[in-house]
Amino acid sequence: MLELVDLSKKFKQMDAVKNLNMFIEKGEIIGLLGPNGAGKSTAISMLSSLIEPTKGDVRFQNKSMIKHPAPLRKVIGVVPQEIALYEDLTAEENMRFFGRIYRLRGTQLKKKIDEVLEQIGLTDRRKDIVKTFSGGMKRRLNIGVAMLHDPEIIIMDEPTVGIDPQSRNYILETVKRLNKEKQMTVLYTSHYMEEVEFLCDRIYIMDKGNLIASGTKDEIKRILSAEKTISIQAERWNDEFIEELKQNPTVNRVTVGEKEITVIIPKEVNMFSAIIRMAENADMELHSVDVQTPTLEDVFLHLTGRALRD
Amino acid sequence: MIGILLAKFKMFLRNPWTFLLFTGMSIGFALIIGGSGLTTISVPVYSEDAAIQQSFISKKLEESEAFTFNWVTENELKEEISAGRAEMGVILLEDDYRFIIGVDSPNRSMLEQTVRAAYTEKLQQENNLAAADAATDAEKEKVLENLQDTMKSPVFEINRSSFRSSDAIIYDDTFHRLFGFTLFFVIYTIAYNVLPILVEKKDGLWDRIILSPVKKWEMYVANLVYSFFEGYLQVLIIFLIFRYWVGVDFHGRFLETLLVLIPYVFSIVALSIFITALVKNAQAFNAIIPIISVSMAMIGGAYWPIEIVESEFLLALSKINPLTYGMEVLNGIAVYGYPLEQVLFPISILLLMGVVLMGVGIHLMERRHV
Ligand SMILES: Nc1ncnc2c1ncn2[C@@H]1O[C@H](COP(=O)(O)OP(=O)(O)O)[C@@H](O)[C@H]1O
Ligand SMILES: [Mg+2]
Repeated sequence: MLELVDLSKKFKQMDAVKNLNMFIEKGEIIGLLGPNGAGKSTAISMLSSLIEPTKGDVRFQNKSMIKHPAPLRKVIGVVPQEIALYEDLTAEENMRFFGRIYRLRGTQLKKKIDEVLEQIGLTDRRKDIVKTFSGGMKRRLNIGVAMLHDPEIIIMDEPTVGIDPQSRNYILETVKRLNKEKQMTVLYTSHYMEEVEFLCDRIYIMDKGNLIASGTKDEIKRILSAEKTISIQAERWNDEFIEELKQNPTVNRVTVGEKEITVIIPKEVNMFSAIIRMAENADMELHSVDVQTPTLEDVFLHLTGRALRD
Repeated sequence: MIGILLAKFKMFLRNPWTFLLFTGMSIGFALIIGGSGLTTISVPVYSEDAAIQQSFISKKLEESEAFTFNWVTENELKEEISAGRAEMGVILLEDDYRFIIGVDSPNRSMLEQTVRAAYTEKLQQENNLAAADAATDAEKEKVLENLQDTMKSPVFEINRSSFRSSDAIIYDDTFHRLFGFTLFFVIYTIAYNVLPILVEKKDGLWDRIILSPVKKWEMYVANLVYSFFEGYLQVLIIFLIFRYWVGVDFHGRFLETLLVLIPYVFSIVALSIFITALVKNAQAFNAIIPIISVSMAMIGGAYWPIEIVESEFLLALSKINPLTYGMEVLNGIAVYGYPLEQVLFPISILLLMGVVLMGVGIHLMERRHV
């Protein structure tokens, strides 16, 4: 239905997005995952015809949308990364405003506003001024105003940044419900891999403007099929221990975090007892040693050598 | 577009405080700083010698800023004082004067000073004439002329003309301040209404509207119309207050005065757009606006008459300053009473500046965005 072909954007000398290829079919929830600065927002802006690509094409129903984006604009609802609302107006006034610019009027507008307020759970706060809302409520309204014109495809740019876990869950559930009940197609951008993992059928992972992996969750995780992850937790780290881990010839990669060391090793190797022994030798007390099935986070780590959220 | 305007009005009604603040400040500054000149005390004056009414003394008294001297008969004078319609009166003699005091007040010593000064100056002039030993009338006149010429060319000169209305006299100084502060403060009101374009663009509000069926030009027009409206509303309120509450009659050309404010407000809207297009963010805008508006006011003659500015450089700068032309137009119409044709030049400059700044501003803004 919607297709990005070799989409690229250069800002001065910097490649914000390089040769991005992507497709979205009706009814799917697609995840676009990547750390800050990966180029997600730039990609979305090109896709939704807000900025012109340096190169490449956006195709909707097999027609290029670069020069004449009207058919695409009609069917998309974009939730920007920032809170794009009039904070001095009430929730309902914002909805009326954004409904009106989509030419909704009268009872039709009113019905739609009631319906969307219900969906985003703000019915009882409709008369309140947005400035007084919590971060989560603003985010919900930010999503709501993008749904007033019944878009077929909703494009969300990090819709859960900086809010409490409850609001976050609420938003995730809402997205899932909209997709199930109304067959709404969703492009969901995030740097939280657990959100994308929870929501999405297919996932694109970007880093530094490049697409580094794509496919279903399972397909992507199969990238790591030859490896597994061991997570080690301890009160404090001993340099000797870390050094010994890194020197070990069977270990593919060691990442040291604040409370956790992640070790990636070949699938067939059993290192459990070896790690315990190393800790004893280094006189270090371990809290736990887990062998984990790979997550998208691990895939990212594997592909880039960096954590998603650094 | 109507929707955008409606939203803006709603927000304005919900939060009119900045607007009211700047409106109040314009009025307050014009009133307080020019305050002492707003009303004058009326003093009945009488003289047995009719010639005094046309004399040097009488002319001097007329120049007084604090008092208005009305020529009356002796009886009228006494009646006015005893009825309490006037605090005090003056009887002028050829070389002396008398006061008739009804109510003793601080005004009394001021009145005495004013009258005494007139007589002293008359005496000085007579002495000068005697010293010049002028015999013939023609010679006398010449000496007086020379004297006046020297007095006329001090370091700088402020053109004066007076503003009369039925119950108060506004000196052009006060008038000047009214115009100056109005034109100055309205820059803030307008600028802070254009600024949201920048903020709304950054926050993605504009993107939302761009994706909707609303056209981009409609957004610009709605925003500019709204900024213009609020700026104009402010000057309108200020001038209405001065016209109907303070009682300034604008030479009877109030409507024309209001009309010629339009090009000025338009040029300031355009200037604000232009500045908005140049700055990086709202903070930079907030920092730069006071600098621009204050310098515009200083070299445009809002704080003091442009005539006292001597630096060539500043004078050159004042030629590209909308405020200079705004003052010129207002002074022309309301103070000097020029016909409209005579202020067409500054009006066209304002309109031209407006069109150019707006065109360039919007162009820059669009180019930066994509
Ligand atoms: N308008 C712009 N001008 C210059 N550089 C930009 C612009 N927008 C984004 N960038 C740069 O492009 C890169 C990708 O940004 P962005 O698409 O916002 O990433 P993400 O949304 O994944 O965090 C970043 O390095 C950012 O600094
Ligand atoms: Mg982003």
